[in-house]
Amino acid sequence: MGLSVFSHRSSLGVILTVLKARFLIISRYRGSLFLESLLPLVFAAMPILIGVAVAGGDAAAGQNFLANVGTADYKLYMLLGASVFIVVSTMLWIVGFWIRREMEMGTLESIYLSPAKRIHVVSGIASYAFIRSSIAFVAALAVGSLVFGVNPFRGEVYAAVAFLLLGLVPLWGLAFLFGALILKIKEANSVINSLQWVVSFFMGVFFPIAAFPPILRYVALTFPPTWMNQGVRASLLNLSYFFEAWYIHTAVMFVFAAVVPLLGYSIFLSTEKRLKRKEGVGQY
Amino acid sequence: MPDVIIKMEELSKTFISKDRKGLRSKKREVQALKGVNLEIYDGEIFGLLGPNGAGKTTLIKCLTTLLIPTSGTAWVNGYNILTHENMVRASIGCMLMGERGLYWKLTGRENLDYFGALYHVPKPARRKRIEELSTLLSLGDYLERSVETYSSGQKMLLAFAKALINDAPVLFLDEPTVTMDVPTARKLRKIVRDLNEEGHTIFYTTHLMLEAEELCHRVAIIDRGGVIELGTPQELKSSLVTEEVITLEGVIQENVVQNLREIPGVKSATIKSESKGRTTLAVICDDSRQLLPRIIETMVGNGATVDFIKPHEVTLEDVFIARTGRSLGVDTRVVAQKEG
Ligand SMILES: Nc1ncnc2c1ncn2[C@@H]1O[C@H](COP(=O)(O)OP(=O)(O)OP(=O)(O)O)[C@@H](O)[C@H]1O
Ligand SMILES: [Mg+2]
Repeated sequence: MGLSVFSHRSSLGVILTVLKARFLIISRYRGSLFLESLLPLVFAAMPILIGVAVAGGDAAAGQNFLANVGTADYKLYMLLGASVFIVVSTMLWIVGFWIRREMEMGTLESIYLSPAKRIHVVSGIASYAFIRSSIAFVAALAVGSLVFGVNPFRGEVYAAVAFLLLGLVPLWGLAFLFGALILKIKEANSVINSLQWVVSFFMGVFFPIAAFPPILRYVALTFPPTWMNQGVRASLLNLSYFFEAWYIHTAVMFVFAAVVPLLGYSIFLSTEKRLKRKEGVGQY
Repeated sequence: MPDVIIKMEELSKTFISKDRKGLRSKKREVQALKGVNLEIYDGEIFGLLGPNGAGKTTLIKCLTTLLIPTSGTAWVNGYNILTHENMVRASIGCMLMGERGLYWKLTGRENLDYFGALYHVPKPARRKRIEELSTLLSLGDYLERSVETYSSGQKMLLAFAKALINDAPVLFLDEPTVTMDVPTARKLRKIVRDLNEEGHTIFYTTHLMLEAEELCHRVAIIDRGGVIELGTPQELKSSLVTEEVITLEGVIQENVVQNLREIPGVKSATIKSESKGRTTLAVICDDSRQLLPRIIETMVGNGATVDFIKPHEVTLEDVFIARTGRSLGVDTRVVAQKEG
């Protein structure tokens, strides 16, 4: 059996090793780390500036927004949407590109050759994505608040954090669903690019999904990040939850948290298996 | 009878590949492995010899759980490749894709530590193992540099170290010397022999017949997905003793070769290499003394110029030529010369 000794400790070791390697590698790409941390701000600034431009001044924009959305604080509304979006996009991005890069470098095959359980490797990546997206969220919100002069600490802050964390769980599931897609089509850039826009559209980053025609609204409601986004906003800006009650909103998010990761992970595994029946993960 | 450590039963693999022609594509089946049955003994160096595209890598990928065979099955170290994947993986070390499969942004040591952890090697054992490998492969001075700064040969050595990180009983090496220079390749073969003496079973693929002849206890010759010969290098060569091999060099056209094949008593005539208008031809026949005048007559009569004739000792390449009518490849000749 060689030197392998299987234990809970060595399994934890796999998770931590994968996590550590991600940080070591990203720390050696200084330039891209800098750009990646800048991106959330640009993304949040865009709609806020458009809002000001279209409505003609801060007060007018606020009045319009109050009438349509239910809060005059359109800046915080946008900033929250953008910050939650950054979490979603960072998560999909990290998992998607991780798979693609490892495929290209042949390291995915090296991982598959090892007796490490897939769930442990994947947990390492998920932890990394969690840390990275949390940092991105805090950074976007902090700098955004300073730049646009809004105070995010209002309303139910703890509830907002809870919605954020609860929303992350199904996000992992989506990330691996997305990973399965990349494993299958062996391409990441165009998928990630187009998905960015679809995701930001459906989760209502810049506008309430109530503005959608009914069919689009239902589509948006099947998408877990939409609920995460609305949960965070509702608790901080005192807006209504979906279906008017916080407990229904929370219950739906729990269901997502229970179902989506299992679904995403099992689709990932079956894609992997199908690939091994065909040409293997070495083809890239 | 030695213990069997790898057993294959009717292992087959069919790929569906797409032939592309502009925008259109057509599906085509490629039978990379056709019902391979082999038994590898515990403690031997087993060589799988075959030309490009013979199915060597595909066979290793099936045995190492990277590919699921289309039909058939196999056991490695007593574990089935379809039902006990992780136990198979823990039993083996692999060097499969040359210098690929390493993290370029990490140092050599970080790479080895990473893969050690993935193999569940406990931290102290890992540290010790990395030191051992560093000495064994003389990695010392570049182990602390990131892999992107390595030369191609250094990357290969690190990939070899990676295959050894878990000190597994079975090693799969897929053409490990292919991009190495001659001294490094020789060093690697020496280490392979040493590892084997320590008790490791080694499954070694190559398309260099000299390498197989020099290193392996037993050799299987694989061609177009099927095993066509199996035995010790000596056995394979002596299967040809009733036949003789003549090498002819000169300016020899394809139609001449065709005419030679029609001479009764000539078993095969195959072009081994061609360069700068000079051709090397291998003719396998029953009785060279009797046939040589006829052979030369045919060649000259068809416009060929022959300037060198040599009957020679049978090599594994000749065995391959006799069985398939084709040469293993031009590269063999180059390395054979360098190896001297
Ligand atoms: N993913 C794939 N899709 C389609 N055909 C494939 C695939 N992988 C391998 N093949 C085909 O299967 C056959 C065997 O390939 P394989 O890589 O096993 O050969 P090999 O003996 O390792 O050759 P080499 O000496 O060049 O490495 C070849 O005809 C190859 O084209
Ligand atoms: Mg190969």
